[in-house]
Amino acid sequence: MSNTTIILQLLMIGISLGGVYALMGSGLTIIFGVMRIVNIAHAILMMVASYITYFAFVNFGLDPILSIFVTMPLMYLLGVVVYKLFFSKISKDARYGELTVLLTFSIALIFEGTLGYLFTNTYRTTSPGYATSSFLFGDLYLPKGQAYATLLSLVLILLLWAFLQYSRLGNAIRATMQNPTAAQVVGVNTEKASVIAFGIGIAMGGAAGSLMTYLFPFYPGKHWEWIAILLSLIVLGGMGSLAGAFVGAILLAVSSTLVTHYFGPTWSPITFFLALFIILLFRPQGLFGKKMEVK
Amino acid sequence: MAFLEINSVTAGYGVGPDILQGLSLNVEEGKSYCIIGPNGAGKSTLLRVICGLIHPRTGAIKFQGEDISRLRTDEILHRGISFVPQDFSLFPDMTVKENLRMGGYIMEDRSELEQRIEEIFEMFPILKDKTSDQAKTLSGGQQQMLAIGRSLVLRPKVIMLDEPSLGLAPIIVQQIFDSINTLKELGMTIIMVEQNAKKGLEFAEWGCVLDLGVNHFEGKSDTILHDPRIQELYLGKIQREGIDE
Repeated sequence: MSNTTIILQLLMIGISLGGVYALMGSGLTIIFGVMRIVNIAHAILMMVASYITYFAFVNFGLDPILSIFVTMPLMYLLGVVVYKLFFSKISKDARYGELTVLLTFSIALIFEGTLGYLFTNTYRTTSPGYATSSFLFGDLYLPKGQAYATLLSLVLILLLWAFLQYSRLGNAIRATMQNPTAAQVVGVNTEKASVIAFGIGIAMGGAAGSLMTYLFPFYPGKHWEWIAILLSLIVLGGMGSLAGAFVGAILLAVSSTLVTHYFGPTWSPITFFLALFIILLFRPQGLFGKKMEVK
Repeated sequence: MAFLEINSVTAGYGVGPDILQGLSLNVEEGKSYCIIGPNGAGKSTLLRVICGLIHPRTGAIKFQGEDISRLRTDEILHRGISFVPQDFSLFPDMTVKENLRMGGYIMEDRSELEQRIEEIFEMFPILKDKTSDQAKTLSGGQQQMLAIGRSLVLRPKVIMLDEPSLGLAPIIVQQIFDSINTLKELGMTIIMVEQNAKKGLEFAEWGCVLDLGVNHFEGKSDTILHDPRIQELYLGKIQREGIDE
């Protein structure tokens, strides 16, 4: 294999991986954008969907990709319930920012414990047929499972973007993201917009959770690793920016693929944390984010 | 029965102290009001209470005889009270047209909404040339026009403006006041909070002086403008004389 072929191969793998990361990050960034919640529980909620997918695959033979039709609505409902139970009560609190971090941390621990109790801490994975075969393009290959997941991720992100851009409810969510007071002034029920946005964010995570079952083996405690990666990519892209989450995901996925190839898989996680460190030092608002005023 | 009636309202933010401390004010239909007072007097809080962004702790607000004290902002908008907050309060990443569309967010008839947006463009032609520009790229004056235009989409009966001249160059301030004057001529009820008290009182028919959360003094704008006590306390005469000396 020539150097060019190797680079092309790595780019292909990295970009396709980035598509799935973007799906994972899209929900997290929407939730932060609308409600200013740094949702530490995002990855464990993603894993709830992974376990539902795993359960449906093992017991009913339901394909992980098709299972998003089950996990997305379920996770949307779970998101609404979690928001109504915990966040509605603290939305007017002066220490809202700090409380959301502590609260989502607690939620993460509760779900981690419950999943650990129900499914043990054994690594799980699903194995549909396409998970072990590849598309070949001359010397290059692209794992089919990764290609499908990426395509589906792109479709879901595009649908989310179109919903935010063109629907009345989507505009209300966007307005709440950009200026909550102005949104209220024009008659947006910002509480309702927040509940729906939280549900959508968790549903997007749910779709990612289903897809990751055959891409990355998982167990409950794995969510700490994932949330660190997801926070890195949305901070890089700019918290609250959907485009930012997408670009951040692609950049970091490609970088980590290159690092894995040239330095070994042990060094791969450092790509994310190094990027997080550098971006916080030199451009804390991220690539697409806006500087926030502290009042 | 007053058009808009504020009766002994107390209000504040979160668990903080009362900013409004039993404030009462009667607003008559078609009149223009300018509310002045020192920082922290509760001017902006009063407008926020009327439009439902915060609810009174005690007291009541009645609009055309109906108690609106506990209604949400969208319900108050439906009844015909619009609010333009301080600092324009636009959606910075949305275009001019999208911002105007958001002004009609509660309207069901979307074709009627498009027609009303055209009316706003006729009132503020400069905005029509910037239809597809993001709000954040507009100048301060244009942003204020957009904020006012957005609040007019619903053809409100009452429009409340919080510091419409804040941070604008004098020539732009005049343009903004000319626009507001058009609304006055159309018979709209206007309630304005203005730091530039002289300018605000010259524009309005009725003035209210708020201090420590109560309606300290009210009367015809002319009277307030020439009242020596008010001049000393709120119109900066003492400071000006101090500087002049």
